Amino acid sequence: MKPLLLARQVSYGPARNPRLTDIDLQLAAGDRLALLGTNGAGKSTLLQLLAGILGPTTGEVRVLGQRLDQAAPALRRHIGFLPQRVPAYAELNVVENLRWAGQLRGLRRQALDAAIERVLLTLQLDKVRSRLAGRLSQGMLQRLGLAQAVLHEPDILILDEPTAGLDPLQTEQIRELLGALSSRCSLILATHLLDDVQRLCDRVILLDGGRKRSEHAVTPDTDLLAHFRQPASRTGADA
Amino acid sequence: MIGAIALHEWRRLRAGMMFWLLLAFGQLIVAWLSFAQLETFAGIAPQLKAGASALGAMDLVITPTFNTLVLLLLLCAPLLAMGSLAGEVQSGRIALWLSSPVSGTQIAIGKALGLWLATLPLLLSSLLTLAALGLGVDLDWPRFALAAAGLLLFGLWLGCITLLLSSLFDHPAAALAASYGILLFLWLLDSLSGPEAPWYWFALLPHVKPWLAGLLRSQDIVFFVATAGASLLFGSYALARRRGDT
Repeated sequence: MKPLLLARQVSYGPARNPRLTDIDLQLAAGDRLALLGTNGAGKSTLLQLLAGILGPTTGEVRVLGQRLDQAAPALRRHIGFLPQRVPAYAELNVVENLRWAGQLRGLRRQALDAAIERVLLTLQLDKVRSRLAGRLSQGMLQRLGLAQAVLHEPDILILDEPTAGLDPLQTEQIRELLGALSSRCSLILATHLLDDVQRLCDRVILLDGGRKRSEHAVTPDTDLLAHFRQPASRTGADA
Repeated sequence: MIGAIALHEWRRLRAGMMFWLLLAFGQLIVAWLSFAQLETFAGIAPQLKAGASALGAMDLVITPTFNTLVLLLLLCAPLLAMGSLAGEVQSGRIALWLSSPVSGTQIAIGKALGLWLATLPLLLSSLLTLAALGLGVDLDWPRFALAAAGLLLFGLWLGCITLLLSSLFDHPAAALAASYGILLFLWLLDSLSGPEAPWYWFALLPHVKPWLAGLLRSQDIVFFVATAGASLLFGSYALARRRGDT
């Protein structure tokens, strides 16, 4: 069975100072994968490569067996992406932002209206549907970003630090929403919060200096901090 | 999809303060200048008639106001376009565009059309104001229509050029400075060199002025279509490069 998403020997950046080097990863249907690393480890760059926003310098990214950079743009419909900064227009309201995100992903008329109503309810944005995105709280803005990412019901949901900058209550609410969403699609999220990994993912890849340091299964007993502290030379992929 | 992108761009611009400020400023300038020129024309009209002069309202009121409109468009278009792509990059919204199943060519054409739509309120309201003069004085309507079509094409051309410059930068201010620099250079190019210079073909005024004077020349159409087409091509290439599709 073909993996939903496959990155093979992916590197990015100039040869002398690459931002990512020889990354391999694979995502099957239902997988929930975390990318864990310190700031500058290459998490965001890797997510942008997986979402098709950047093209790899060497190696390849495949979605449903097709190369993302060579296949028809329609292949990107299988992906939903929430970057670190929510890509919303401050001068448009919540529904207008969702309408545009849906149109960009090929949704039209009744299908678009139905999708907007569905995500407004799922992400509890119904009460702020007419509010300008520029006037939303950070937590609501993050929900809008999530709504934009899942509006077209993607097979793969890619999230870049979805709980960054949120207060504890908002963090908990976003985690609950992500937990519910992850039952409908495969999930990759970048984070430096161990709680996010433990609560939301079943597998973790540790990144360090643009390289994949190790890969582990995540169980309630997994000591992520110990993996995180291990020097690069002593670790290896064990999952 | 191109139409949807154009409408989105138009909605985005319409929702901002800049669009309304530029529209109000432009209308004020056009109204003031056209009335000032009309007043002058009304003062000398009896002498023109007595001397059987061929000059009329078209030469003394409409064409000078059209020249002012060209200048206004040159000032306004970069301000409208600076955020088109550079603003998307700066705000991080470019991720929404580049992760979508829309090609760079569609984005470039759609955004350029959206910028053109944003210039239409100023152009159409000014054209209506000037056309209203036809109620009181004789106008050369075919010449008026040709000049109006030239202005509309010029607005579209500006949309394409400024979009290209917006696609090359990550900051709107840099895109704005580059747009003004390039447009000023093209504006002054004919006065910097003679018609024999090889780059004279790129000078803006020699292509705009004949059209506004009612002279339709194939070389001017070729200039506008070729440079606008090349801008869209490079603009979509810049987007594809950003995405890593090249």
